Amino acid sequence: MSAPRTGRAPWAGLILAAALVAAAVPAAAGPIRIGMVPDAGATQVSVEEKAPLRAYLEKAIGEPVELVIPTSYNATVEGLGNASLDIAYLGGLTYVKAHARYGVVPLVQREEDQQFHSLFITPADAPIRSLADLRGKRFAFGDINSTSGHMFPYLAMSKAGVDPEKDLSYRYTGSHAATVKAVEAGAVDAGATDETVFREMTRDGKADPAKLRVFYTTPAFVDYVWVARKGLDPGVRAAIAKAFTALASGHGDDDKILAILRGKRFVPAGDAEYDQVRVIAGRLGLL
Amino acid sequence: MNAWRSLLGTLAGFFPPDLSPHYLRALLPPVAETIGMTAGAMLLAYAVSLPVGLWIGARLPGTRVLAGLLAGIRAVPDLTLAIFCVIALGVGPGAGMLALAIYYAAALGKVFGDLCRTADPAPLEALRAAGASRMQVALVGMLPLKLRDILSYGSYEFESAIRASVIVGAVGGGGLGAELVGTLNAFDFQRTATLILVLVALVSLFDQLAVVLRREPRWLVALLPPALYCAWRFWPPSASLAHAASAFAGMLPPGLDAAAWRRLPDLVAQTLGMAVFGTALGAAAALPLALLSARNLSPVVIALPVRRLLEALRAVPEVVWGLVLVASAGIGPVAGTLALAVHSAGCLGRLFAESVENVRREPLIAVASTGASGVAVAAYATLPLALAPLAVHTLFRLEWNVRQATVVGMIGAGGIGQALYEAQQLFFYRRMMAYLLLTWVLVVAVDRSSEWTRRRFRWMALAPEEIAS
Repeated sequence: MSAPRTGRAPWAGLILAAALVAAAVPAAAGPIRIGMVPDAGATQVSVEEKAPLRAYLEKAIGEPVELVIPTSYNATVEGLGNASLDIAYLGGLTYVKAHARYGVVPLVQREEDQQFHSLFITPADAPIRSLADLRGKRFAFGDINSTSGHMFPYLAMSKAGVDPEKDLSYRYTGSHAATVKAVEAGAVDAGATDETVFREMTRDGKADPAKLRVFYTTPAFVDYVWVARKGLDPGVRAAIAKAFTALASGHGDDDKILAILRGKRFVPAGDAEYDQVRVIAGRLGLL
Repeated sequence: MNAWRSLLGTLAGFFPPDLSPHYLRALLPPVAETIGMTAGAMLLAYAVSLPVGLWIGARLPGTRVLAGLLAGIRAVPDLTLAIFCVIALGVGPGAGMLALAIYYAAALGKVFGDLCRTADPAPLEALRAAGASRMQVALVGMLPLKLRDILSYGSYEFESAIRASVIVGAVGGGGLGAELVGTLNAFDFQRTATLILVLVALVSLFDQLAVVLRREPRWLVALLPPALYCAWRFWPPSASLAHAASAFAGMLPPGLDAAAWRRLPDLVAQTLGMAVFGTALGAAAALPLALLSARNLSPVVIALPVRRLLEALRAVPEVVWGLVLVASAGIGPVAGTLALAVHSAGCLGRLFAESVENVRREPLIAVASTGASGVAVAAYATLPLALAPLAVHTLFRLEWNVRQATVVGMIGAGGIGQALYEAQQLFFYRRMMAYLLLTWVLVVAVDRSSEWTRRRFRWMALAPEEIAS
C-alpha cells in the first residue's frame, strides 16, 4: 500500500531498545504499602478520607506509607504473597487463608474483633422476621471471602434449616457497604453485613436507619486482624503494632484515627484465636 | 417485575452525574494512571509484537508454534489475564499494564504477521536473489515496506486499549476501573455516571488522536518518551519471576470435583445464551439505527445524532454496562445479555451503516428508476446487497461476545465466567484453570464454527481494520 520509505527502520530498533531499558530498571525501595479492606469502595475519595490514618502511621514508624484499597480480598491476600503489600487488614477467613498460603503474621486487632457479630438486615417494611422467612427471597452476601459478610451468615442460615443453595437466590455484592445499599435500594430482599460497618453507615447518614431493620444477629466469632507479610522487617512490624495499640480514645487526634478504623481500642492478636474459623471454613468447603 | 422496578429506580440514581470540582480534581490521578498504564502497555506490546510479527511474516523457523501461542493468548479473556497478573505481580497499575501488554502483544503480533505477508513480493524477491537470508529480507525488506501500515494499525489499537484498561482496572489493576468498581460498590451512582462520561470523553479523544496518527504515523515517535516514562513508572514494584512461576505452578493441573461437573452444562448454556441473545438483540437494535445513520439513506439531521448515539454505546465496554446493570438490579444472565446487547448495538450499528453505504450504486439506481420509493429501494436493493457483510459482521460480533459473555459473567452475570471468578476469589486456582480451559475450548469452537459458516456461504473475509472494536 505505502511507498517504501527509508530511514524508518531505526525507530523500530529504538522502541525495542527503550522497552528493554524500561524492563531493566530495578524496582526502587518504595513506601510501606498498607492494604485496607475493600469495604468502603475503592474510591479516590475514600483514600482521601483516610489521610489522617496515613499521616499518623508515617509519624509513628518514621517511614513513608501508602494506603491501597484493593478491589477484593483475593487481591489483598495475593498482594501479601507477592510483596506488593507489606501490611494489610484481613477478615478472619482471609487471615486463615493468607496464613496457610503465605505465612502472614497477625499483629493487632480491635477489642470487638474478638467478639464480632454479623447482622441480617431487611427493608423496614419487609415481611421478613426470622432466618426461616428468607426462603424464596433474594439475598445479598458481601465479598465471597468475607467472614462476617458470607461465612458466618451462611452458617447461621444452614443451622436455621435454610439452605442458601436451594431455598433462596443469592449474590455477592463485593463489600459490606454495597450489601447495605443493595438492601436499602430494594435490589435484594435481605442481606448479611458487618455490625461496625452497619452502625457507621446508619450513624453517618450513608444509609437511612429508618428504612432498614436488623432481624437477626449471629453468635459471636473472631474476625478482623491487621497482619504483616512474612518477610517484613521485624522492626517495622513492631512499630506498626505499637502505633495501633498506643491509640487511646478520649484524645482528640487519636479519636479521629479510631473513628476511621471503627474501633475503640487495639489489642495484640494471635494465630490460635482463629482455630474455630479454620474448622468451620473447612466444613463449609471454603478452604 | 420487582427487579425491573428496582433497576429503573437505581438507573434514575445515576442522574445527575457528580461534576463537582472536588470530585473532578480527585479523578485526575486515576485518569493519569489509566492513560499512563495504557501508553506503557502499548509500548511494551509494540516492542514484543514487532519482532514477533516480522518473524511470523518471514516464516522463520518456529512460526507455526509462535502463531499458535498468539492465538492461544488471544482466546483468554482480558479480564482473566488481568487476574493472573494481579496474582503474580500484585495489586496496582503495574499488573494492569502488563496484562494489557501481553494481550495486545498477542493481538498486534498476529496482525503485524499478516500485514508483513501482504508486502509487495517484487522487492523481497530482489533481496532474496541478491543472497539475503530470510531474517535479512524481513528486516530490510518487509519492515520498511510495511512500517507505515504497522504504525497506523497500532494507533488504532490504542483507543481499544484505553477501554480495556478500564476492564483490567476493575480487578485490581488500578486507574479508572478500580474507581468505577469502588463507586458501584458504595452505590455512589452519580459518581459512576461521572466516570462513564470521563471514559467516553477519553475514548473519543484517543479516537481523534488515532485519526491524526493514521494520517501522520511518524508522530507516534513523539509519544515514545512519555510512553517510556509510563512503562518505567508503572513497572510492578515487586515483580518477582520466582513468585509468578510458583503461583502459576500452584494452579496446575486443572481439576473439577463431581459437583462442579454436574453444574457444568448449565454454566455453558448460560454463557452461550448470553452471547447468542446479546448478539441477536444488539443486531436487531443496530439495523434500524444503521439505516437511520447511513449517509446514503438518511438526511443529515437524523444521521448525525444517531451516529453520536452509536458512538456513546460503543465507547462504554460491555463489562462496564454489565457492572452498572448487575450492581443496580443484579438480575444475573439478563443483565449480562443486556450489557452485551447495548455495546453490540453500538459496534454493529456503525459497521452496518458502513456496509449499507458501501453497496454498489448501479443496482440502486436501476431499482429507483422503476419509480420505487426510498423505502422500497432500501428494502429491495440496498439491504439485500448489504446482507452478506451484515451477516459477517454479526458472526464476528458473536465470536467476540462469547469471550465477553465470560467477562460479564465474572462480574456477576452468571455462567462459566462467574464460576471462574468465584473459584479464583476463593483461591481454588486449579478449579479456576479448569474453567479457563473450558472457556478457551468454547471460544475456539465458536470461532471455528463461525469460520465454517462464513466459508459455507462464501461470505468474504474482512480486513482486520473493519472488524476491530
